[in-house]
This record gives sequence, C-alpha cells and structure tokens, in this order.
Amino acid sequence: MLYYLTKRLGLSVVVICLVVLLLFSLLHLIPGDPATIALGPRATPEAIARYAEKMHLDEPVWRQFLIYIGNAATGDLGLDVFSDRPVTAIILERIGFTLALVAAGMGWAMLLGIPLGCLAAVKPNSWLDRVTGVLSVGTIAVPSFLVSIWALLIFAVHLRWLPAIGAGEPGDLGDQLAHLVLPAFAIGLSWVGYLARMVRASMLEVMGENYIRSARAFGLRPRRVIFGYALRVAILPTITLIGMGFGGMISSTVFAEIIFARPGIGKLIFDAVMARNFPIVQGAVLVATGLYILVVLFSDILIAWFDPRVRESL
Amino acid sequence: MKQIGTTRRGFLGTTAAFGALSLTPAWTTAAFAQVGGTLRLRIDGDNDVLDPGYMVGGTEVEAQKQCLPFLAEYIQEGDTFTWRPTYYVTKLEQRDPTHIDFELVEGLMWSNGYGMLKASDVKFSFERMKDSDWSGYFEALDHVEVTGDLTGTIVLNKPFAPFQMVTLCHGPGAIVCEQAVKDAGGRFTTQFPAVCGPYTYEATPGQRAVFTANPEWTGPKPAFDRVECNVITEVKAAELAYDAGELDCTELGSDTLARYLKEMPADTAVTTAGELQYMWMGMNTEHPKLQDIRVRRAIQHAVDVDTILQGAYSGTTAKSHGIICPGLLGQRQESGFSYDPAKAKALLDEAGVSGLSLTLRTLNVQERMLAAQIIQANLAAVGITVTVLPVDSGPFWEMGQESKGDTWKELELWIMRYGTTPDPYEATQWFVSDQVGIWNWERWTDEEFDRLYQEGIKETDEAKRRDIYLRMQQIMEDTGAYVWINHEPEAYAHHVSITINAAPSGELNYRRFTKS
Repeated sequence: MLYYLTKRLGLSVVVICLVVLLLFSLLHLIPGDPATIALGPRATPEAIARYAEKMHLDEPVWRQFLIYIGNAATGDLGLDVFSDRPVTAIILERIGFTLALVAAGMGWAMLLGIPLGCLAAVKPNSWLDRVTGVLSVGTIAVPSFLVSIWALLIFAVHLRWLPAIGAGEPGDLGDQLAHLVLPAFAIGLSWVGYLARMVRASMLEVMGENYIRSARAFGLRPRRVIFGYALRVAILPTITLIGMGFGGMISSTVFAEIIFARPGIGKLIFDAVMARNFPIVQGAVLVATGLYILVVLFSDILIAWFDPRVRESL
Repeated sequence: MKQIGTTRRGFLGTTAAFGALSLTPAWTTAAFAQVGGTLRLRIDGDNDVLDPGYMVGGTEVEAQKQCLPFLAEYIQEGDTFTWRPTYYVTKLEQRDPTHIDFELVEGLMWSNGYGMLKASDVKFSFERMKDSDWSGYFEALDHVEVTGDLTGTIVLNKPFAPFQMVTLCHGPGAIVCEQAVKDAGGRFTTQFPAVCGPYTYEATPGQRAVFTANPEWTGPKPAFDRVECNVITEVKAAELAYDAGELDCTELGSDTLARYLKEMPADTAVTTAGELQYMWMGMNTEHPKLQDIRVRRAIQHAVDVDTILQGAYSGTTAKSHGIICPGLLGQRQESGFSYDPAKAKALLDEAGVSGLSLTLRTLNVQERMLAAQIIQANLAAVGITVTVLPVDSGPFWEMGQESKGDTWKELELWIMRYGTTPDPYEATQWFVSDQVGIWNWERWTDEEFDRLYQEGIKETDEAKRRDIYLRMQQIMEDTGAYVWINHEPEAYAHHVSITINAAPSGELNYRRFTKS
C-alpha cells in the first residue's frame, strides 16, 4: 500500500508539472501583448515595464517556467499583479466557497441519485425504473449553466424564494446555506442522472451474481441482500465516478459562480484569465489540479479499502 | 456490522423533506434594499488598487469619491457637463491661465488619527501623480504652492483649460493623506490608509465592498448609512439580481435597456449618466485600395448608420456626428454626409473602381459584430465585397500600432470605439500628426488640425473653444476616413424612490445619491 501511495504521489507531481507547463505555453500563445491587455491599451510605458518585470515577461518562457516551479515548490505562488497580495492568500480566501459548493452539489446528487439507481435496479422495468430512466437522461442532457439560469429566473427572480447572488452574510450560516441552494442544485442536477444510471447498471450486474443468489437462498432479508451485499460491490465504479465528478464539478462551478456571483476558484480563474493576471491563473489552476488529483487518489484508496481484491493487487 | 437500511417510505419522506427544505421561502432576502438606510449596488470586480496613482480605474474611482477629498466635482447644467467646487473647499478660483488658488474647509479630519486635511496634502497628492501611472492627467501641473495650512495655489506649466474637468473632478484628482501614505510605504492597494469623507471602506475580496458612515465626518451626511457593493462580474447577472430585488441600482446592457425602455419594470427608473463613448468605422487612407478619397466618400455614403443603431443597438444609442460626445462643448448636430447608395455608386464609378473587396475588422463583441454585418450588407449593395474579421481584444488594440507588428499595413476598415473624459480636448488628442501609427490608425495628418489642438487646450473662452472643436471634426470628416456611428450611454436602472448620481463617464457617486 505504501509503495502504491508513493507511486501515485510521484505521478501526481509529474502531472502537476505537465499541467503548469501546458498552462504556461497556452498563456503565452494567446495573441496580444499581455501587459497591454492586462493594463489597458493606453497604459503608460512605466506601468507596462513594471508589469513585465513583475511577470518576468522579459525572460524566455522556459526560464519563467523554472522560476515559477521553483517558487511553487516552496509554497510561493507569487503576487497578484494588481493588488500585490500573495496569490496563496487569495486562493485560500476563495477555495472554501468552491469546496462547499462542490460538496453540496455532489452531496445532494448522491443522496438522490444512489437510492434512485438502487430502487430502479431492484425493480427493473417497473414504473419507477422507467421514470428514473427518463429523468436521468433528461438531467444529464441539460447543461449546468442552463439549469443555473432557469433556477435563477424561477426561484430568485419570479418566485423570490431564494437569494440570487452572493455567498451570504459572513458568519450567518443560515444565510450562507440559503445562498448555496440554487448553485448546488444547478451543478448537482446532472449528477443525479449520472449516478442513478451508473448505480442501476452496476446493481443489475451484481444482482445476477451467484453469491447474491446464495444469500437469497439462505433466506436473508431483501434489504440486507441489497444494501449489505449487492450495493457494497456495485458502488465501487460509482466511487470512481464520484471522485472524477468532484474534479469535473470544480470546472462546472465556473458557470454557477459567475451566474450567481459567488466567490470561488472557478470565478477567480475566469476573472484572472480575462485580466491576464497570470500569477492568479497559474496558482489557481495549480491548486485546482492538485485538488483533482487528491480526490481521485482518495477515491482509489477508498475502493481499495472497500474491495479486498483491489487491496491485494496493490 | 450494522448496515444502513432504507424503505420506500423512508426514502420518499427524505426526498420530500429535502425538496421542501430547498423551496422554503423563510430565507428570502429579496426585501427592498433601502430599508434601514442600506443601498445595494453592483461593482464589476474587486478594487485591487485604491491608490489614485496606480489604480486600474472604474469602481476604484467610485471608492475614492466616497472616502477621499476632491477639489472639484461634475455637475450637469441643462445638456452640458461642467464642474463646481466641492464641499471640501471654500475657494477654487482660476487667478490666471496658469494659477488656480484654493482654500480648504477648516476642521475636516482624516481618520486613524492623522489630523486635519491640509493644503500640504493637496501638494503631496498632486505632485506624486506626476510620477505615477496616471501622470498624463498631470502633464500640465508644474507644482503646488502651499501658502498656509489651508490655502495654496496650483501652478500649471502651460495654460490648460480642461484642468478642472479632466484632472480635478476625476479619480486622479483625489487627495490622499500625506503622512498616512508615507506610513503605508508610499503607496497603498486594497485599503485606504486614512479617509476623509462620509464613508469608511471595507472589502471582502470576491464578494463585496462595504461603505459605512464615517463617525468622524463632520460634512454633509449622505442619504444612506451603508452602501453594499456586490462584486458581480457579468452585467447580465447584475440585471437578474436587480430583477430579483437584490440590488437597488445596476448598470444596463444595451439590449436590456431597450427592453426596459419598452416596458419599464414596476418601481423602476432609468438614468443615463453620460454618453462619453464615440464609435466610428475607420479607413486607412494610406492603403492602396482606399487612397482615392472618392472611394472613401463612397463608403461614407454607402453605410446606413440608422439601421446599425436599430439593428445592433435596439435604438438605445445616440447617433454620432463626430468624436465630441453629447453634453460636451463642440458636439456636432449633423454630419456632412448621409446614407445615399446612389451617390456612393456614382463616386465609385467616378473613381473607376469596381469589384472592390475589403476586410472589416472588429472586436468580437455582440453589438459590434452585428454592426459589422449591417455594414457588410450595405457595402455589398454598392458592389463592395466585405469580409468581416472578428478580433480578440489583445490583437485588436495592437492592429494599427506600428510598434506592435505589421498589421497596420494591411488595415483597411475597422470599427473602433474610444472613451473620453468630459472635455473635448481628450477626444481630439488621438488624431494629431504624432499619433499616426499609434492611435491615429487612419494615418492622415493636417497642420491646421495640429495647430487647433494646441489652441483648444489653451482657450478658455467657451464660444471660441466650441468653434475650434467643430472645425477639427470637420477636418477629420473631410479626410473621408470616418463613418460616425454612435455614442453608447452609461445607463442605470434603479428604484424610483432614489435619485442616483454618476459621473459622465459612468462612475457612481453614492454620497450624492438622494431618497425622493
């Protein structure tokens, strides 16, 4: 297990380096002078020179990359070009909002999607299975930004039941939760469908296994057979899906954070790209990539913990 | 090991509870925002640099207006923008073309124990601007003479008629506390080291900036004790937030403005701050295809500007007849050309031009893309084939600049929009001879234009200044290199019970908002 973890962490470092390299290349491939774009077309030469110096723009790209990787290894992600604040501090201010949104979005999707998938598999071809199937495909097909806009128009603008913008009053948990409902609904909706379909398919496969038939033959109660034996095995591919889903949701939050004017990593990256605020873009993408890798790693460990066959093969 | 179990009844109950929870109206925060003296607004991003010398602009100027002293402020008299001394001064007088005397109000205190606002703060604030990112606004400043604790004289190095409008009223004219800035290391970013105004300032990055009543302020009290400015990047999201009752005032995009003007929402009014943007279609007079002035004049007559205003801007923008915007001295009331396809064809025939194909470059934003398509159709009707080339902002702003590559040689047609301050001089400065290859992408020069530009800066007689700027626009139009399009407004939707105050360039001034 220790060898497995070391190997995975080593690979993660390589992946992060590749991501930063790719990001560096992409940022420098964007047409136009970064200083002019960031500071406006009529910025003074002094301001442009100061920006270029701060960003090391006069250095070759490979050298900029090495400087950045060297600093990042010591936890220094640089300074915000405009406010001179440490990028790490800015990211730490926002990341909690994104994690809360992703957790809430995936949380409610899991709470609804997994039981729906189980019930559909237990009674295949029943009305519940058919309704679940239609709803699943429907929710998967609708993009989250569209759900965000509809949710905002219906529940905030028309009905005025829920707040439209922001993350809520600092220190007021109730208000913060209220502000979380619509964005979490928007980004989680398609995952209800994904999870329900995945759990149903896995459960149907597992329910046909010999050990399930044996358990039934021994006279175990159906609930015990389904949740104690079948779901425990059927959930394994779903855990992988959820792990990857967390990563995917970090990018889905961009739309939700912009539409609902919520602070977060996605909106931070979007704003920074628009302003060519390279240190923020690089730092935030680095952190988002790290998070993604960690979540996937965690889901792999969880699978190993659940499934002795995987554990023994490590 | 105990297993987690469920029943259908339990599952349905949980789901129903979850659904009900998410729809509970108990968390409604959409009550009208003015209650309790709080005003809720939108800002389009964080205020990263509040220091007037190094700010980006926009909402940072809004913050400065609430927390820092200014010597002059904008007012509107009829249809014209002008200025007046602020509450902070008892005197602001132009003694002669290069000397402006001022006297500060006694007893106005800086926060954080930095004492009284003094003339030395004005000297420090203005003279440091000469080495700042906004030094262009202080090019005419020589120095500030301090003649007493509260009195002084602004000494200019040349007569500069727009100094009050362009420099003193705008963000760079903010006065900072000398000692506080020195204690902060010479410049500041996200917090004011000291304020002297009706509000104090606090910001939560990515969320909002909050202005609360300054207990040390002895001047006129603002109408609202608290102003919450929510960071909403996209104007569409802000419009929805306004519709949801979570904002009292927001900027409007042109399509929403058109919708509001057609059917105004309940309890809503729309106020236009100013129209200080001027948009035109430019032509490169040096390009072989466009060197013949008859071809350029043909294009002027071929473009149906009224259709552009309706089709791309839903009739919400003012038709342009030059580069001087509405409300400013020297605005033209009509152009010397009009939509006349027959005349355009005749001019092309006279020039012996047929089968002409041109490239029209534009920023890749919705309205300008629509405008470009209308121009494409208009020119096709007179036999000119136009290829529309949408360009991202980075390369767009470099197209005509010789220092940024060779694209300027290929430039034929482009749609351009510049913004300006509320004085005609600034709009004209980009077209003088030494701007060719920098911002004069049409690449013409004219000695009379250059001379008038210098005269306009010095002239203090309004009638003479008006004539100067009218003549300068005539010279521009006579080059045949311009099709004037429009002046986009800075429009705000707000609750009918408040009267908003905004600078002509659109920055809101919360301290001058009133409740009606």
